[in-house]
Order: sequence, then structure tokens, then C-alpha cells
Amino acid sequence: MNKLIELEWRKLEQKKVIGEVMIYWVILMFLPVFFLKVVMADLAFTDFEESYSSAMELMSAIQMGFVLFGASMINHVFIEEYKNKTMSLSFGYPISRKKLVMAKVWFIFLAVFLCTLISFVLSGITTYVFDLFIDVIHGLPTLADIISFTVKSIVHSAVVSVISFVPLFLFGIWKRAVIPTVICSVFLMQFPNFAGLLHIPLNTNMLYVVLGLIGLVSVYLSIAKVNQVGDI
Amino acid sequence: MSDVIRTYELTKTVKGKTITSNVNLTVKKGETYGLLGPNGAGKTTIMKMLTGLIIPTSGEIMLFGKKFTESAKDGLKRVGSIIEYPIFFEHLTAMENLRIHCEYLGFYDGKAITQALDMVNLHGIDDKKVKDFSLGMKQRLGIVRAMITKPELIVLDEPTNGLDPIGIKDMRELIRMLNKEYGITFLLSSHILGEIEQMADRIGMIQHGKLVNEVALADIQKLRTDYIELVTSNVQKTVYILEHKLQISNIKIVKDTRIRVYDTARSTSDISKTLISNDIEIEEIQKHTSTLEDYFYHQIQGGDKFE
Repeated sequence: MNKLIELEWRKLEQKKVIGEVMIYWVILMFLPVFFLKVVMADLAFTDFEESYSSAMELMSAIQMGFVLFGASMINHVFIEEYKNKTMSLSFGYPISRKKLVMAKVWFIFLAVFLCTLISFVLSGITTYVFDLFIDVIHGLPTLADIISFTVKSIVHSAVVSVISFVPLFLFGIWKRAVIPTVICSVFLMQFPNFAGLLHIPLNTNMLYVVLGLIGLVSVYLSIAKVNQVGDI
Repeated sequence: MSDVIRTYELTKTVKGKTITSNVNLTVKKGETYGLLGPNGAGKTTIMKMLTGLIIPTSGEIMLFGKKFTESAKDGLKRVGSIIEYPIFFEHLTAMENLRIHCEYLGFYDGKAITQALDMVNLHGIDDKKVKDFSLGMKQRLGIVRAMITKPELIVLDEPTNGLDPIGIKDMRELIRMLNKEYGITFLLSSHILGEIEQMADRIGMIQHGKLVNEVALADIQKLRTDYIELVTSNVQKTVYILEHKLQISNIKIVKDTRIRVYDTARSTSDISKTLISNDIEIEEIQKHTSTLEDYFYHQIQGGDKFE
């Protein structure tokens, strides 16, 4: 399986993907400070700037942006391979389709997980550095805040990676459509905000759990049904 | 001779439409087998099923004597293929494509890549991306990929498509060489009779998704007949003269104005002299040897005539 995951990376247009990730990292790095100092500066109902533990909530919501990166990976690893017919090369090897799909899923999971985790670290450091100079968040981070941030970063990166699989089965393998995949991811990414705008009371953690479960169902269907819907 | 491929009632249906139906195909070890049929007959679909690209709706495939299914694809380690046209990761170089292919098959022999590239005269392409290759170069590279892991069976769908005349000749010679010197079994497809005729030992005719007939090329050669065909406006009188003055009995009226004389003891000039001396106007007279095309045309009565 490790070899298959490595081969997925080698087949990719690596420069394109790395460039894309860099753009995500740079944008999301400054987004917490931007939100705290500009967007939410005058909003009375937000208290993200009150403490580092509050700011972490905002940080998690911002990192949901990597769900969109997941859609991009689904596009590169599944949809493009179907459209360019390079998927037929994989199917012609003595490896079952289920195993091939599993390798692709693991590859996307690892890519999204690692990139989100690095993004957490980068935005954490950037926010802290800015805070030292322009007082973005009240107070200083405690050891408990740092430990909590580390744990949250790992858990949330895994959650983001799983949620990013929601469009995989329907739009990635079955319909093989790029635009619906991206729209679905944008919707997932913005779901908590939409709910807020529509004044729908939502428990964010519960929402992440539900979306994560849908992502897992999508992965299960992608592997289980690839023989029925995966022909070239 | 053992069977490399054997299919039983192989059928593929897509959205209610039957693409291939109950195909019972046998390819023997060491032979070059040609699948012949018009465009859309189902040749590619059969090849796709045999190489795991699509899953049959029903029927069974035996590859190297073992049942071949989606969950038991081990036989593919011994198969090289190009289906439809050679597909590559266009943004990668030829070498990167070949290395990835070898690693998927668990084959690690750096020298084999260089040797195979030499065999098809592909040189100086190390850093060139596949997207910059011409169709002919891609076809050659496809062949390299198909044979690099030293397979026992190579499946080639329309192998000369997109090649220039020299490329076509090279491809034919390469197939012959690999077949004769290395004993590699080939399954080829084509809709061009002349193409298959020059390469195959045995031919399977596909028409409307069905395997109409399987026949050895040597057997068809034995069935070849010569005949003289003439065109005249007065068929009845011509037949009378041929039968009574030239004592020819083996005659067939093909169309209203076309007569075939299968008794080739009489020469074209004998016939034309006699007919002219009897005031028969001959529009056309020519000696023919029945071709492979004739054979297949008769096999697939009412079907599309091949190119």
C-alpha cells in the first residue's frame, strides 16, 4: 500500500500541486489576523480576540479552507485520471480496483491532513508574531493554550481531511465532474457560516462529526462500488 | 499447444445495449491471433475485458489457464497491452512513465528500459515530456511499455494506427520478431484485412459483438480460388457461348451483367477472342484471385464490407 501511495504522488503534476498548497498556506497564514483586526474589529457579538483559547475557534473555522484543497486533490487523483484515461493504466495492472482506490484515498487523506496541519502551525506562528507587535489577541498564550492548540490542530486536520471526501463518490468517481466537486466543497467549507447567516443554531463540533461521517460513507461507497461505476 | 486466453460466453452490456455477446475465443500459446471486424464491432471491448479495463457483464475469462476476475488479476503480470491508443502521463517524461509502469508491476530492471527503447529506435528522449511526442513516437513508446516487463502475451488494439508507412513496416517486423524469437503470443485487432493478413496466424471475425468465426490463415489460403470475371450486356448469350463453344461449365452470374468463370483452364484471351467472334460486346474482362477480403465478405453476409 505504501508503494501505491508513493506512486500516486509521483504521477501527479507536483509543481502545480505544490504551488497550489503554497497559495493556501500564504492566504490562511494571514487570515486570522485579518479577521481579528479588520473584519471582526467592530463586531460586538464576537469575542475571538479576548484570549488565545477563543482565537483558536476562529483558527479552526479558517482551516476548513483545506476542504477545497481536498476537492482539488480529488480532481487530480480521480477525475483527471478518468478524463485523461490514465485510470485505464492503473486498471490494467494486477491490482484490484478496490486497492487502487484505497491507495488514492489514503494519498488524498495524507496530503490534506499534512497540509492542513502545516497551515495550522504557520497561521499559529504568524498570528502570535503579529500579536507581539500590534496586539491582536488579549493576553499571552499559556502552556495549556499551546497544548490545546496542538491537539486541536491534529484532530481538526484529520476532520478536514475526512470532510473533504464528501464529494468523492458522487462527483469524483460516479459523475467525474470537476465543477460540482468544487461547489460541493465550497458549500461544506462555508456551511457553518451559512448556518450563522440564516440564524440556524448549530453545534459546530456536532456539525463536523456529521460531515465527517458523510465523508466516511462517501469513501466506503467509492471503494465498495468502484467495480459497478468505475469502468472507463 | 496450451491456451493463453480462453473465454466462455463473454458478454458486455452497457445501459441495456449489448456490446459483445457470448464470445468464445481461444488464443493459443505462441500464435499471433487477429481480431478482425468493422469499426464498432466490439473488438476493443473484448480486449478491454481481457486486460481488466472493463468488467464483463457475464461469462468467464481464463488467462494462462487460470480464472481471471477483478479480484484475481495476477495473470496481468504476464500481459503487455495497448488498448485504443497509448495513454501516458503526458506531463511526465518517457523514462518517468516507464519507471512508474515497471514499479506497478513490481519489475525492477533498469537495463530493460534502455534495451526496449533501442529495439524501437527511440533515442534521446530521456528528458522529453510525453506531451511533446508525435503520435508515432507515442505508439513506439506504448510498444516499449507493453514489452518492457517481458510479457508472455501482448494485446495490441489497432497497432498501426497513426503510424507512417515506415512505422507500419517497423511495427509489423517488430511483432513478427517478438513472436518468432521470443515466443510472445500476440492478440491484435484491426478493421483492415491486409494488415491482419500480414501478421496473424489465426483470425477471429467479430460482427455486431459476436465472434462469427475463428479460422487459421493457412486454411483460408487453401480455399483461395482463381476466376475470370467479365462484364457484358448480353449475359444469356455469353453464358451459352461459354458453355457450348468453350465447354466451360463452372460459371456463376454474379450480377445482371457480371459473370465469373471458375474454369481457369481457359485463358482470358481465349474467352475474349471467342466472345468477340460471336458478336458479344465485352465491357470488361479480368483474371482475379479471390482474396481474404472475399472470404470474409462471404462469411459476414449482409455485414459491412471491410476497407
